[in-house]
Amino acid sequence: MNYTYLFVLIWLAYLICSGVLLFSRGFLLARVSKTETSTCRRLSTNPDDEYYLTPEVVQEIFKDVNASTSSNLCLPQKSKVIILVVDALKYEFGVYNENATEPPLPYENKLDVLHRLLQQSPEHARLMRFRADPPTTTLQRLKGLTTGSLPTFIDIGSNFASPEINEDNIIDQMVKSHLPLVFLGDSTWTDLYPRRFKRAYSYPSFDIFDLDSVDNQIMQHLPKELASNDWQVLIAHFLGVDHCGHKHGPIHDEMARKLTEMNDIISSVVAGMDNETTLLIMGDHGMTASGDHGGDTDDETNALLFAYTKQHKFYTSNDSGSDSEILQQIDLVPTLSTILGVPIPYSNLGLINFNIVPAIAVPHLSKFQTLLLHAWQNAHQIYRYFFKYAMENKRTFNVEEMDKLETEFILLTHRVQTIYNEAAFKSFVRDLNINLRDILNVCREIWVKFEPTQMSQGLLFSFLPIFFAFLLVNNSNAGDYAQIFKPKEVFYTFLINIAAGVFGYRYYKNFSFKTEEHGVIFFTSLLSAVLLAFYTIRHWKNIANNWANVKRFGHMPTRLLLFASVAVFFSNSFVIQEAKILSYLLVAIILLLIYELLQLSARLDFKNKFKWSQLLRSTALRLVLASLLAICCIRFAYTLFRCREEQGNCADFASASTAGFSVKKPAMGKTYILAVVIIVLYTTLTRLYLRSCGNLTGNSPNVLLARYGPTVASICAGGHILLANSTVKNIQRTHIDTMALVIYGLLLLQILVVSWSPLMVFVLPPKNPNTITVNGQDSIVPEIFRKMKRMYEGDDAERRYEIPVVYGLATVYSSIIISFGVFLAMLMIVLLEPRASIGLIVCIVVGAILLSLHGILRYRTANSFESCVQPTFSAVVGWFLLAHFCFFATSHQTTLSQIDWRAAFVGRSSALGQSHLISGTLVILNTFCGPIFFYCMYSLLSTETFSLFALFPNLIKSCSSSSRNSSTNNGNNRNNGKASTAAIALSDLANDAVGFDMTRGELALYEYEDVFLGAAFKLATQFFMLQGLKIFCAMLACTIHCRHLMVWKIFAPRFIYEALATFVGLPALIVGYLFLLRINRAVDGLIKCINKDK
Amino acid sequence: MVSRFDQQKTKHQLFHVSISLATILICMTYMQYRRNWAHLGSFWDSLIVPIVFIGELLKVILARFFGRIEDGVLTAKQRQKKAAYFTPRELLGGLTLQFLCTLLYAFICIILGAPVLANYEQTFVLSLLMTLLTVSPTVFLLGGGGALQVCFCEKPDFITKCEDTALHLFKYNALGGILGAWAGSVVAPLDWGRDWQAYPIPNVIGALLGSALGNIYACTHVLYTCGRVYMSKKRA
Repeated sequence: MNYTYLFVLIWLAYLICSGVLLFSRGFLLARVSKTETSTCRRLSTNPDDEYYLTPEVVQEIFKDVNASTSSNLCLPQKSKVIILVVDALKYEFGVYNENATEPPLPYENKLDVLHRLLQQSPEHARLMRFRADPPTTTLQRLKGLTTGSLPTFIDIGSNFASPEINEDNIIDQMVKSHLPLVFLGDSTWTDLYPRRFKRAYSYPSFDIFDLDSVDNQIMQHLPKELASNDWQVLIAHFLGVDHCGHKHGPIHDEMARKLTEMNDIISSVVAGMDNETTLLIMGDHGMTASGDHGGDTDDETNALLFAYTKQHKFYTSNDSGSDSEILQQIDLVPTLSTILGVPIPYSNLGLINFNIVPAIAVPHLSKFQTLLLHAWQNAHQIYRYFFKYAMENKRTFNVEEMDKLETEFILLTHRVQTIYNEAAFKSFVRDLNINLRDILNVCREIWVKFEPTQMSQGLLFSFLPIFFAFLLVNNSNAGDYAQIFKPKEVFYTFLINIAAGVFGYRYYKNFSFKTEEHGVIFFTSLLSAVLLAFYTIRHWKNIANNWANVKRFGHMPTRLLLFASVAVFFSNSFVIQEAKILSYLLVAIILLLIYELLQLSARLDFKNKFKWSQLLRSTALRLVLASLLAICCIRFAYTLFRCREEQGNCADFASASTAGFSVKKPAMGKTYILAVVIIVLYTTLTRLYLRSCGNLTGNSPNVLLARYGPTVASICAGGHILLANSTVKNIQRTHIDTMALVIYGLLLLQILVVSWSPLMVFVLPPKNPNTITVNGQDSIVPEIFRKMKRMYEGDDAERRYEIPVVYGLATVYSSIIISFGVFLAMLMIVLLEPRASIGLIVCIVVGAILLSLHGILRYRTANSFESCVQPTFSAVVGWFLLAHFCFFATSHQTTLSQIDWRAAFVGRSSALGQSHLISGTLVILNTFCGPIFFYCMYSLLSTETFSLFALFPNLIKSCSSSSRNSSTNNGNNRNNGKASTAAIALSDLANDAVGFDMTRGELALYEYEDVFLGAAFKLATQFFMLQGLKIFCAMLACTIHCRHLMVWKIFAPRFIYEALATFVGLPALIVGYLFLLRINRAVDGLIKCINKDK
Repeated sequence: MVSRFDQQKTKHQLFHVSISLATILICMTYMQYRRNWAHLGSFWDSLIVPIVFIGELLKVILARFFGRIEDGVLTAKQRQKKAAYFTPRELLGGLTLQFLCTLLYAFICIILGAPVLANYEQTFVLSLLMTLLTVSPTVFLLGGGGALQVCFCEKPDFITKCEDTALHLFKYNALGGILGAWAGSVVAPLDWGRDWQAYPIPNVIGALLGSALGNIYACTHVLYTCGRVYMSKKRA
């Protein structure tokens, strides 16, 4: 058989996917988060402790500072700490402007307490720029402020389900060192660090237009907490300024009010704090002139940091060599660790800034020795982390650069031994800081900056194959592909690609690519693009001819709908509401189809006079009703959508973390019952359909499986839904799991059967040679071999008695795909939640209606076999939209926190291992059930037209009589009467209309095998193009919005979902095509066998 | 070509289009004058529906006015049809048809995503407006039965030339209205937080603007033919 097309499909799929992969490597900055934590030997001033500071201990430490005993030390705690985080406190807000315009701007000179303290006691107060790393959003900033690392979009290893941080961080270190923490304010902190605080007064930050309530709550509790003595660290996070910025912008009277309020709070805290406390006031990020934040402009990254102690002076930059102007935000973590005497968190990359460390003398240590110990601890920790990370994630960093850094570090370790005075210390610290900053910059380059080369190449390499596939495949006739893609040429194409891949793998360094992967993708994609261009140019004449025949502005409404569906990616509000937009567009497609149908038929059904009775009898009305049913189904699916956080008052989001077996609402009981009823209905209907096609006759194993399998599967699925969610306690998990396992087994069996003997037909042996009656009492439409034979042998009257009867030949292709679909759907139902499985079946119903609508429309507009087997563009787009709509209808949302992890555990509690591969497959099957299901079934779009007309031959009559009407407007009633019910007349009619005998159903497909397989290939490529267009737009949107405020919250997750849909959708299409090839081969065998028998 | 130029028809078309555009202009002025968008969705408070109603009625009267000239050349069937225009049967049929149409539009609004019953008044206003823009003019012109025939059958033979002109223009109006109302939803999901984003305001305005665009398209068509005729005449 002809497997060439299959390989072309694989090639195209590889090209598109590799482009997407390349883009995602450049766009999704990933950092593997390490779960190791730092520990230290705690030097203490208390004689009872293990490491009591004595001169001997000090001497031992300085004998070898690099020794393992002295490289992880914690010096004693210096003071208590109060941290006041004022969200979006920009640097300019705190700087006192002496010659401000009169009156000053609303934000100017409002925090005069800072100015006063600076004037009063410059040694006890510090005002610095607090430089944030982008993205400047509160959540990412808090991660940075507590872990001391650069937060990226995906911190691999952290769990998606809850935002809790599992990397080593300052809060955990404080808890481990038994320093009690009190927290007041924004609930983001308690989401990140649940159960860490001794007392937490947290308030949700969701309502962005509420300026005061969180701050008022803090103010209510703050004095009480300040007065109590049982904490070492107090954190308060005020939201008012940020919300005010979002609502009014910085230049507004409200801002003046909020800042004055902050000023009062700071004054009262300063008044209330004791002598042993360090006060830190900081903004987590700044704001732009319009009051927003998230990007990387100076306005957004420059926040304010103010430090104050009552009694102790701070170290000066003269002492330590630290920058007194700017404090990087990641430097806060080691600095805090120094003040509190806790180990520096494992993955910190910041440096201690001694300007805000109170200068409290440590016994037996001189000042420079204290500073040296601190700085050297910090350096050790950074090197430990950096080299460990580099070892475990090879090729993240450039090798030469690593070597250079390591050499420098070794030099420094030698130099540190020889520091005996302050001058030597100063020059050492200067060099050390430069070295550590280099490390930070290397990391920043990798974790914070997008890689524009990979992104742009990814965009280009996913665009090129789509473009050339459009030129080459979409503009050629289905019959011509055999000439375009010759087996030998495709074979060479693969060889060349492999060679290019090997070349890229071997020599990627010479072209300054970072990874082998990049090299391989670059060279194969480049070469493939050239090859595709070559193919296109060689067949340009044909392409140009076919293109000239295409109607200008044809399919304009459909194109607009498609355009609208991909335009969604470019606006965050559209992405948030995508479920509704998709259903809106899908309804529009169905309305468009029905409009086209009515245009073609209704006007012709009633000739001159409009009659209600005629309307009620017409096919058109039935089709309209069917499509209304489909639209109602889509509308019903609204109730199944899952909402997302941004939509406001979303209850799903809150319960998402606890979803699964624990949620028991009384209303859910009805949902379960409804789900079971719908599943049973679905299996019954498909069974009835298959039986009426005659595909369930006989006793061959595949027919038996198709006959009884779905029943068993539906019982198991129903049982699983009811039992897994029931409140009855004493059901063993294994019993529930067995049901899921049965369904898995049935699907595997079905796959085996399909690959072994796919055909669901029954050849009736000619028992009685004289009669060939096909039972009239059954409603079965058995396909009589007579017609077939007439086609091959010519009508041979003498041999008539030998004609075998073959059941189910009219639907020989679609029946197998449908019965496979039943099993696939059952598998997905068992994986999905009950509510979502209703959504899946609703989508299948919509799909079935779409198929039948399109089947009739296609036949009426077709004028040859080729156009008949090639679905209309509207239907293709409709099917495509339906596949994506199904994602939302099955209660999914494009947020990372709403992945349904429950699916990974269906049927796996006891047996079946703990393999991550299986878990991943199950979750993917759950999440992308829509694209997978509908893409696997895509070939129904071209076969269903044929089976429909074989099942309801009367449709042909109505169609052709109407087409006759249009062509000749006289006396066709006579003609109608003549063409009564005789099958021969029907086939003649069909012959007239489309040039072949439609009554033979899908057997006609076999007769025009080449065109059919070509058309199926073309259809698959069209889906490739649609999916490729969608993912391309998603990538483009991400590129355009890569510094957008919402990029990590909305655009990037949307892109990830779309990329995954592409990665599973394209293989699903290939599987669908493979099915078709297998069936075609079996049909070929069957026909040959029957012919030989005779 | 030149000889086929029908002055009466062109006049009729131009008047017709200018009435449509004037109606929409009045609607826009009215909205500007009220300044408050929220009233667009309420039935009793808003004057949009009456204004559009009067506009459509004016168009039908215009068609009748131009139709008078042709009175002499009517066929028997056309005469019969005309006589039956004011019979109770036709009136009742027309009203029922419009009512059913309103219901159908309301249903379509709901299946396209409007709240099922919560905003029934807004849905009603929108569907009324859609009916007025699409079905009503035809019903006013031909009566209920006639409208059905025009919609579902081949061109009935009782239609006079002038009615045909009007129907042709109604088609643009209706198509523009439907597409405009459909496309109006585009602003609904945006997070701008404006008061005019509330359902049905974008759809109402979209319908009006859409029908305006349809009319402008028709107008350019007419003017283009006019201009061509004028040029060829001048050349001759």
